[in-house]
Amino acid sequence: MSSTIDAARRRLVGLGAVTAALMALSIVGVFLVAPEDADQGVIQRIFYFHVPIALISLVAYGVACVAAIMYLRRGGEKWDEVGVVSVGLGMVFSILTVLTGSIWAKASWGTWWVWEDPRLVTYLVVILLYAAYFVLRSSAEDNRRARYSAVYAVFAFAAVPLSFYSVRVAESFVHPVVFTRSGADMPGSMLIWFFVSLVAITGLFATLLQLELLQRRADRAMRDLKNRLETLMAGT
Amino acid sequence: MRAFGGRRAVDGVDLELAPGRRLSVVGPNGAGKSTLLRILATLLRPDAGTLELAGHDCDHHAQRARPSLGYLGHDPLVYLDLTAWQNLELFGDLFGVDDLRNRIPDALSRVGLLPRAHDPVRTFSRGMAQRMGIARLTLHDPVLLVLDEPYTGLDAQGARLLDGLLEGFASGGRGAVMVTHELGRAVDLADEVLVMRAGRAVDRCDTAGMDAAAFAARYQELTA
Amino acid sequence: MSASPLRQMRALLVKDLRLELRTRETAVAMGLFALVGMMIFQFAIGTRTDDATPFAGGIIWATLALTAVLGVGRTWVPEREQRVLDALLTAPVPRLVLMLARSVALVLYLLTVQVVVVPMAIVFFVRDAAFSDLGLVAVVCVLADVAIAVVGALLASMSVFSRARELLLPVLLLPSIIPVVIAAAGATHAVLGPGNALDEYWRYCVFLGVYAVVFGLVAFATFDHVLDD
Repeated sequence: MSSTIDAARRRLVGLGAVTAALMALSIVGVFLVAPEDADQGVIQRIFYFHVPIALISLVAYGVACVAAIMYLRRGGEKWDEVGVVSVGLGMVFSILTVLTGSIWAKASWGTWWVWEDPRLVTYLVVILLYAAYFVLRSSAEDNRRARYSAVYAVFAFAAVPLSFYSVRVAESFVHPVVFTRSGADMPGSMLIWFFVSLVAITGLFATLLQLELLQRRADRAMRDLKNRLETLMAGT
Repeated sequence: MRAFGGRRAVDGVDLELAPGRRLSVVGPNGAGKSTLLRILATLLRPDAGTLELAGHDCDHHAQRARPSLGYLGHDPLVYLDLTAWQNLELFGDLFGVDDLRNRIPDALSRVGLLPRAHDPVRTFSRGMAQRMGIARLTLHDPVLLVLDEPYTGLDAQGARLLDGLLEGFASGGRGAVMVTHELGRAVDLADEVLVMRAGRAVDRCDTAGMDAAAFAARYQELTA
Repeated sequence: MSASPLRQMRALLVKDLRLELRTRETAVAMGLFALVGMMIFQFAIGTRTDDATPFAGGIIWATLALTAVLGVGRTWVPEREQRVLDALLTAPVPRLVLMLARSVALVLYLLTVQVVVVPMAIVFFVRDAAFSDLGLVAVVCVLADVAIAVVGALLASMSVFSRARELLLPVLLLPSIIPVVIAAAGATHAVLGPGNALDEYWRYCVFLGVYAVVFGLVAFATFDHVLDD
């Protein structure tokens, strides 16, 4: 057990180093190298972080959903841990998405919050949806916690696209979607920094996930050891 | 094996019960008796290990074994706001019992509740409610009874009823597993006794020719 | 011996109906709650405007969503309070039947309340409502109720057997039925608001149907893990 934890730690250090380098590179690139947006000016640069963070938060919920399915099919505390850590990271990333989006809204449209923007509103719904995951987790009885969490992780992930769609349908009737932020028509010099940032944020997610999982794995190993010791002591 | 949050409640219990045999399970509090019984009643899935009831593999087909099962706990497990009749009708329908119109009065008169058939169970005394549980238990002719402290709250009439039921079960080639605190009943009403302690089976013995006092002494020794 | 799922389903529904008729607590409480809720919305929004018609759909469905929490919260309560669940689970009832019976009972509760509350809401908030609009709103009610019932049966089965269940359920249920509220309010508004926008109405109805089907599948895939320990 201890040798594999050691190996996992070495891998984590490697991953962390690469991620840190990529983060540094993307910060330099986004703020110093990428060209200034003609219409929006400096605030447009928040986009390089805002969009990758938003995407990765959805990826995190997806990871949690897959882990939940694995847990329900095969069992194993490990999958439950992947699930809860992923949802936690997804929450942090969703909150950052709303915060960065809100800053952008203030700079571009002069107000912190725009109900007409379906994406911001949906992320708020998603945050509420996944906040409930933790409430459920803390309320469930010990022997049901992992199972209920897994069921809810699958359930909530199905709710995400429906929330997106419902908010969009509602908006399209009230207001035409006037703010398009599509990144596809960006010039190549912007696009490349977008991708660097996307990879860096992905690395950040992977590193944090591994870090927390390793921590929990060590805790579990410790607990097993303690249990074994107690059994041994009781036997004599 | 079944663990709760890393603590093993039942571990390494290997049981086989032949038709016509009754087993009682005894042990101190927290020995894992109830957990074992809930596994046998298909209410808990074991984390490891297998369960086969009446020839059905319960890991995958618990549903097929359930018609053969009769489960009774400390509580009668009936709706208090339904009448005795309505309760039996519900469980008869769930188990697919035919000819309920005649079988419900039979079941109720067997437990002495026919005059109260149309009263809500809430108005019954504790003993009557528990007898109601016995009526529910036997309505679908189970092959294996799984009883968790069934004598708790039972009045004298109900206790005699259950004693008779358990005696009849053995001669009918059917089985029963019962958790109980009463060592006397454990010996008298079963063919075998299983003693559990800290999630493990520490003793299993035949009750033929054994008297309750001798067993009580042995039990003290095993669980001390 | 014939334990057909239909017979089991009917027995479970009859049981729920009998329990409700004996006490009548759920439906009455839900109805009163819905009326009070609408009054609160009237004081929050209605008094600031001459004509509440543009807000009617929103008021109706915001109230009904909150009311649904009450109904969903009663799910499995007799089973828990009277400890009958073990008896139901050891009976040879497919878990799908248990869940379906739960959902159907919920739809019935919600419809019972809506039969009273929705016409009153229309009288309160809508000017010049046509009688034929009521039929279209009824379709919305049925679709939205099925959607809420499917989600509610699944979530209630988890919350009822947890600690602090009455706090947990609204937190679990309300965020996931936000899309239902949006779509049902939109469809109701399309019918009752100025200018019958039927194409809008049908798009919302289709969305409600899609929502019910998606969560029906999720519930179908997961309910085994919810009910069986």
